[in-house]
Amino acid sequence: MTAAAALAPSPPATGGPDPRPGSFGAFVARCAAAGQLVVQPRMGFADPERMRDGLRRTKAAAATAAGTLTIDSYTRVGDRAAARAALAEGAPLNGYPIAAHPAARTRALLAGVADAGFPVQVRHGSARPEAIIRALTAAGLDATEGGPVSYCLPYDRTPLAESVAHWARGCELLATLAPAPRTAHLETFGGCMLGQLAPPGLLVALSLLEGLFFVRHGIRSVSLSYAQQTHPGQDAEALRALRRLAEEFLPAGVDRHLVLYTYMGVYPRTAHGATRLLEDSARLAVRAGAERLIVKTAAEAHRIPTVQENVRALETAAAAAARTTPEQADGGDSEVYQEARRFVEAVLDLGDDLGRALRTAFARGLLDVPYCLHPDNAGRSRSFLDPGGRLRWSDTGAMPVAPYATSSRRTPLTADGLLGALLTTSSRYDSDPPAPEGADMEHTPPPLGTHLASPTLRSAMLVQQEALYAVREFLRGQGFTELLPPLVGPVTDPGGRGAKALDVDYYGQPYKLMTSAILYKQASLRGFPKLFYIAPNVRVEPPETAGTGRHLVEFHQIDVELAGASREDAQAVAAGLLTHVVEHVWSAVPEVLRELGREEMDFAELLSGGKFDSCTHAEAVARLAGHGHTQSPDAEIDWAGEKVLSLAADRPFFIDDYPKGSRGFYDREDPERPGVLRNFDLIAHGGYGELASGSEREADYAALVTRMRESGENPAKYAWYLELAREGIASSAGFGMGLQRLVRFLTGLDALWQVSAYPKLPGVIAP
Amino acid sequence: MRRRSLDILLAGTASDSHTWNLVYLQLFLEERGHRVGNLGPCVPDPLLVRECAARRPQLLVLASVNGHGYRDGLGAVRALRRAGHTLPVVIGGKLGTAGEADPAQRALLLEAGCDRVFDDGDTHALGAYLDTLAAVETRAAA
Ligand code: B12
Repeated sequence: MTAAAALAPSPPATGGPDPRPGSFGAFVARCAAAGQLVVQPRMGFADPERMRDGLRRTKAAAATAAGTLTIDSYTRVGDRAAARAALAEGAPLNGYPIAAHPAARTRALLAGVADAGFPVQVRHGSARPEAIIRALTAAGLDATEGGPVSYCLPYDRTPLAESVAHWARGCELLATLAPAPRTAHLETFGGCMLGQLAPPGLLVALSLLEGLFFVRHGIRSVSLSYAQQTHPGQDAEALRALRRLAEEFLPAGVDRHLVLYTYMGVYPRTAHGATRLLEDSARLAVRAGAERLIVKTAAEAHRIPTVQENVRALETAAAAAARTTPEQADGGDSEVYQEARRFVEAVLDLGDDLGRALRTAFARGLLDVPYCLHPDNAGRSRSFLDPGGRLRWSDTGAMPVAPYATSSRRTPLTADGLLGALLTTSSRYDSDPPAPEGADMEHTPPPLGTHLASPTLRSAMLVQQEALYAVREFLRGQGFTELLPPLVGPVTDPGGRGAKALDVDYYGQPYKLMTSAILYKQASLRGFPKLFYIAPNVRVEPPETAGTGRHLVEFHQIDVELAGASREDAQAVAAGLLTHVVEHVWSAVPEVLRELGREEMDFAELLSGGKFDSCTHAEAVARLAGHGHTQSPDAEIDWAGEKVLSLAADRPFFIDDYPKGSRGFYDREDPERPGVLRNFDLIAHGGYGELASGSEREADYAALVTRMRESGENPAKYAWYLELAREGIASSAGFGMGLQRLVRFLTGLDALWQVSAYPKLPGVIAP
Repeated sequence: MRRRSLDILLAGTASDSHTWNLVYLQLFLEERGHRVGNLGPCVPDPLLVRECAARRPQLLVLASVNGHGYRDGLGAVRALRRAGHTLPVVIGGKLGTAGEADPAQRALLLEAGCDRVFDDGDTHALGAYLDTLAAVETRAAA
C-alpha cells in the first residue's frame, strides 16, 4: 500500500452505521479505521481555566486523544449547593462541577477546543444523572458515561430501583437534548464496577446489559467498557467476549465500540510501576481490539493528577499502542465468554423490561458483585486469584455460574488478607525492577553508568556504526565529499518550536553552537559542489519536549548539499541513502536487529524499490483532518500529526511544499507559487515520524535579505553569509537527516535517548 | 489492663463513594475485638446524626479518600456537635486532593470537635488510639 492510499479516509471498522461525522462515536470509528487507538484521560478540575488548559494540552498531546470533563463528587451525589459553596470558598474539588457553573461558562471553556477532531466526554458517577445530562447538553456536549447498575452500586446509597428509573429517564433525556444531527453517545461503566476483584465474566455481562439498556432507552451510539484486571490473557478473552456478545445482542443499527480502562484498582505507587501498568493496558487494548483507552497517571495512588501528568500518561499509552499490533483471534468460546453469556441469558430470561430484570437479578442474587456494600447487592459472592494470576470465583452464591475452586473450608477473610488481595497488582508492578531498556519505554534514561553498560545501547551502537558506514559508502559512491563542519559560528540556522541555539563566549563575542549547518554548506559549494557532513549539533529544545522521546539537546546530523540541484534531485539522494542504509544494516547485523525486535518484514515495502511517494503539506493537513486531527495549515506538521501520518504509511514518504513562515529563510520560495516553499520532509513509516528535512535553497542576495526581514531575523547578524551571497552562492538543494532518528527507526527503539550514548534530554541537567 | 470491646460506627463521608476502605476498616476493627456498624459510603450529615442518636455508638470512625474529606468531615463533625453528640469522633484516609496532609485543615477539624485526624491514612495510629480508648473505657466502667 502506498502512503497516499494508506492515508485516504476509509469507512469505519466498527459495527453499525456511520454515526454523524461530528459525534464522539464517529470520531472513534474514524480513528479505528486508521489503526489509531484513541486515548483519553480521567481529568477534572474545579477551575474552568485550568480545565480548559487541560483540554487544550490533551488535544496537543502526541497521541490520538479525546477530551474528558470528570465531574466532582458533590455534583455526582446531587449536592449542587455544596459544589457552589466549595467553589465560592475556593476549596479544591476532585472534578469539574458542571452543574454549578452556568452553561455559558462551560461553553466558553470548550470554545475552540472541542470539535469534530477532538470530542469531549463527560465522566461522572451519578445514580441521578439528569442534572448533569442537562448541563452537558446545554454546553453543546453529547457524550457521557454511566449505567443503571454501575453508577449506583459502586457510587451511591441510592436504591437500585431508583437508579434504574433515573437512568431510563437519563438516556431519554440525552437522546432528546442532543437531537439529530448530533448523536448522543453513552459509555457503560459496567465493565469496571468497584474496580477490583470482580471476575471478568460478570463485568463483561454487566457492560453488555447496560449497553442494551441504553439502546432500549433510545441511545444509538454506545461504547462498552471493560477494566483491565490481573491477567493479560484473561483480559484479552474478556474484550473479545464483549465484542462477540455485542454482535449477538445489540441491534445492528447501533454504533458501538469497546473501551478499555487502565487498571482501576489500587494503583502502583512507584513511577516505574505506574508507567508499566499503563503500557500493559495500552498493549492489551491494541492486541484485543479495543478502540479506546482511558488511562491512569503516575499520580493515581497518591492524589489528583496534574495536567502534565495526564498528558504524559496519554503520550506513554499512545507510544506503547503504536508499537503493538492487533492479534487476530475469534471471540472464541472462552471461559469468560461462556460465563458472561450465562449471566446475560439469566437476566434476559427475567422478562422484556430490562430495568426490571436487572433489579430482579440483583434481588435474587443472580448478579452479585463481590465485596459490594450496597444494600441491594446480595453480597454472597467471593473471588480469588488463582495461582496463574486469573481472577476467578470461590463463592458464587445464587449466581448461574460455578465456583472455580470448591475449597471445602474457606479461610475467613481478614483485613490483611483483603489488603493483600487488593494490593497484588500494585505490589507486583512496584517491586519488579524497572524493565531493561528497549523492552519497555521509560521516559528518562537511567544514570549514565547504567545506561552505558546496557545491552540495548550496545546493540544500538552496533547498528549506528553500520549505518554510518553505509552513509559514507553511499554518498562517496555518488561523488560527494565529506567535510568536517564548524562547531561555533556567529550565526546558525534559526530553530523552530521554541528551540534555541546555545551561546558561547567567543573572545568576548556571543557566538553560537551549530544547530545545523545549512549556511556553511551553502558557502562550501564554491569548492565542493557535492558535499556532506556528519556533525554534532546542539539545540536547546524546550523542556516540555523531554517526554516525547523525539528530542535531544545534543544530536548528530547527516547534512547533504548538492549544487545546481532541484528538490527532486535532493529527494532522490535522500531516498537512495535511506534504502542503502537499510539494506546494509540488514546484511551486516541482522541478528542484532532481530534481537531488538525488528523484523525484515517491517522494511519490505521500503526495500521493494521504486520512488517514495510524496504528498503536499496541504494534502497532509487535509488527511489529518480526515483522521480527526486538527493541524494548522500554516505551520509545520505537529508531532502528533506527524505520528498519525507515519503510522498510516507502510513505507517512507515525502511531504512537500511547506508554507512560508513554517521554515527558515534559506528554504527557497516557489517563484510560481508565492508563499509555498520548495522544500520537504522525509517521514518514516511505522510511527517513527520525521527522518529528514530538506529544500532547494535561497541563494539570491536580495531575496535572502527580504526573507530574513520577513521572518524577523536581523540581516546584520548574518554579515559573513550575506557577503558571500552578494558575491554569488551557487543554487543548490540539500537535506539534513538526524542520525539518532535514523538509528531509532532502524532499531525500532522507542526513545532517542536509547540510541544515544550520552543522552541529553531537553530541560534535564545531565552529564 | 483489661480491654473492653467498643461499639463503633463506621461511615464514609457525605460525598465519598469509596467502599474498599470501609470493608477493610470493618475487618480491621472487628479483628481488634470491637463491634462495628458499617453505614457505607456517601452518608449525609442528617443520616449520620440520626444513626448516632439511634445506635449510641462509643466511637464514630469517619473515612474519606475522595479528596473532599477535610470539607465533608468538618460538616459532619459540626452537625454532630451541634446536635449535642459528645461521643469521640475520628476521621482518616486521603482527606485532601494534594496527596499530603494539610495542617490548617486538620486544625479546623480538631477545633470543631474531632478527636483525632489520621490524614496520613495510618491505621496503626488508629489501632493505638483504640487501645487507649478501650483502656479508658475499662477504667470508667470499673
Ligand atoms: C478503586 C477506586 C475507585 C473505585 C471505588 C469503588 C468503590 N466503591 O470503592 C471507583 C472507580 C468507583 C472510584 C471512583 C472515584 N474515585 Co477513586 N480510586 C480508587 C483507587 C484506584 C483505589 C482505592 C482503593 O480501593 N483502595 C483500597 C483501600 C483498602 O485503601 P484506601 O482506600 O486507600 O484506604 C487506605 C488508607 O487510605 C487508609 N484509610 C482509608 N480510610 C481511612 C479512615 C481512617 C480513620 C484511617 C485511620 C485510615 C483510613 O486505610 C486504607 C488501608 O491502608 C484510588 C487510587 C489508588 N489508591 O490507587 C482512587 C482514588 C481514591 N479515587 C479518587 C477519586 C477522585 C475518585 C472519584 C471522585 C473520581 C474522580 N474524580 O477521579 C470517584 C468517587 C466519586 C465519589 N462520589 O466520591 C482519587 C482521590 C484523590 C485524592 N484524595 O486526592 C484517587 C486517589 C485516585 C486519584 N489519584 O485521582 N475510585
